[in-house]
Amino acid sequence: MLLDLPSARNEGWRWSNLSALPDIAARAPVGTVPAELPWLDGYGDGPRLLFVDGKLVAEQSNPGAIDIGPVEAEPRDHALARLVGPEGWRLRMGRDHAPQGLVQIIHVSTGGADHLPAEVVLDVDAQAEILETYIGNGWTNRLSSFRLAKGARLMLSRRLLGDGGFVSLTDRAEVGEGASFVSATLAAGGADTRLDGDIRLTGKAAYAEAAAALLARGSQRHDANLAIRHWQPNGSSRQVWRSVADDMATCSVAARVDVARDAQKTDGEQSLKGIMLSRTATINAKPELEIFADDVKCAHGATVGELDKAALFYLESRGVPPEEARGLLTRAFVADALERIGDEEVRKAFYADVESWFTTSSLVPSEVEGRP
Amino acid sequence: MLKIENLHATVDGKEILKGISLAIAPGEIHAIMGPNGSGKSTLSYVLAGRPGYEVTAGSATFDGKDLLALEPHERAAAGIFLGFQYPVEIPGVSNVQFLRTALNAQRRARGQLDLSAGDFLRLSREQADKLGLSMDMMKRHVNVGFSGGEKKRNEMVQMGIIDPRLAILDETDSGLDIDALRVVGDGINRIMRKPDKAVLLITHYQRLLDIVRPDFVHVLAGGRIVRSGGPELAHELEREGYAEIAA
Ligand SMILES: Nc1ncnc2c1ncn2[C@@H]1O[C@H](COP(=O)(O)OP(=O)(O)OP(=O)(O)O)[C@@H](O)[C@H]1O
Ligand SMILES: [Mg+2]
Repeated sequence: MLLDLPSARNEGWRWSNLSALPDIAARAPVGTVPAELPWLDGYGDGPRLLFVDGKLVAEQSNPGAIDIGPVEAEPRDHALARLVGPEGWRLRMGRDHAPQGLVQIIHVSTGGADHLPAEVVLDVDAQAEILETYIGNGWTNRLSSFRLAKGARLMLSRRLLGDGGFVSLTDRAEVGEGASFVSATLAAGGADTRLDGDIRLTGKAAYAEAAAALLARGSQRHDANLAIRHWQPNGSSRQVWRSVADDMATCSVAARVDVARDAQKTDGEQSLKGIMLSRTATINAKPELEIFADDVKCAHGATVGELDKAALFYLESRGVPPEEARGLLTRAFVADALERIGDEEVRKAFYADVESWFTTSSLVPSEVEGRP
Repeated sequence: MLKIENLHATVDGKEILKGISLAIAPGEIHAIMGPNGSGKSTLSYVLAGRPGYEVTAGSATFDGKDLLALEPHERAAAGIFLGFQYPVEIPGVSNVQFLRTALNAQRRARGQLDLSAGDFLRLSREQADKLGLSMDMMKRHVNVGFSGGEKKRNEMVQMGIIDPRLAILDETDSGLDIDALRVVGDGINRIMRKPDKAVLLITHYQRLLDIVRPDFVHVLAGGRIVRSGGPELAHELEREGYAEIAA
């Protein structure tokens, strides 16, 4: 397949580096299902889907309310999203309904590229809680469409734990009156990522939340682009982005809040923070606010820096070795985003993933130049 | 125990300590007094190994070993505790987590096993109780939102849990109300007044020295110890001020 990819000259892609994608896509997938899969226990026989290279592994799945079939998801000219085919997974919940427990989806990539759409439709007052886990080392490309009717609630957690390759996720969400769309994302593997989101609060008093912790080391890159668009009055939104870049890695976050003329009494908050664990790392943070209504409350803040030296010395003076002190402060920094996860089991799993990111550090500090 | 000889140190290229000599034996409490900006905190930071404080001449040994060759966390594991003049806030890390990490790191450095979660909680409850801090406060983030006095009491809770052999206490009495001063002073005596332990007490006020009675008093001015004496020197300072004595 010939890939037509955007270049960094394109404003929305200026911090991306997609140059590895053609090579990754050209690698043949191995296709083996890993013996150990990171399912969360404790959710009984709740719905489970296992995709290997974009194909459902039926004997290890328990679709429950989910079906596989044609999906309505509009790529809207997104350069990566438009690569997905017509068939994917669908979760449609009727009025007042909810799936039995946590919906767990694992995406394994064993090489090559796979492109898959998804659709989640929650009718009035319906609810769902979804956990997606991405592992492997190929290119996993997803387009997901979320439509929440009045009073619906969706809690979407994603962890990107692949050892290499690329994960690109494009989300399109419409959040109806009084509905709530809450997402938490953790990138704590070795894959490069591109995260795109366009969340529209199309009903009054709708709520959207996006919390993300992006951890990068080596020459890894995370690149996120999110817009939350307030179209109706009395809506609120929260964005909490925490980026950590070590070695030569780059984390980039462009996060936007749009408030339309009719969206009076909007309450929007954005917090973008980044920590560079080495002087050769890069953090880009671009908070954007575009407000056309006059009676709104919007706050945004962006800070990029190193770990607090006074706090490091305080810890060390109490006997904590420097590397452990750095780990403790970095975990605390990332916790701003992850502590928002309401489901305790999911939250614990995310913290454990962060923990293994620290303990699998392949580079000891003395081997890395330019560390402060 | 601690032996400092002709210690010179610079901060940002500026010489602050200009030849300090001081010997502290086990069982002793030494008070250091002196005008603002004379180098008291600088001395405490140099002894604790704070980055940016460069020793340009002289030596400091602890139990006969070169203190200045050790990293800050190694000095802590060796038994040195610095009570900060301005305790640092650490958002996102609870006091309990902070102290448990610190205590177990020190234990490991000494070849001891980690303290179990239960034993640690018992120890921290006991020490917090004695300083009048609730366990609710101990579960809060390190010093975040603590009043000035609470921060100082928290330093003493930490000292009680860590149980060091040499405590360098930098104005632990400043910002305390009269009752808290009594609690903190009693805490210092309880934790540190032992034959095998020693204290270097930096203070501006006689009130603390009425509770924690020093064996020796030194006056630091312009980066040098300009006078040393017994407890009576502190009274003399209280009466006459530094101008006379440091002159
Ligand atoms: N980073 C720095 N750069 C330059 N000068 C510094 C720096 N840090 C401290 N100093 C100076 O070193 C001197 C000694 O400071 P220090 O904090 O040790 O004084 P102190 O005796 O503890 O005073 P106080 O009683 O007010 O606590 C002061 O003149 C101070 O301005
Ligand atoms: Mg001072």
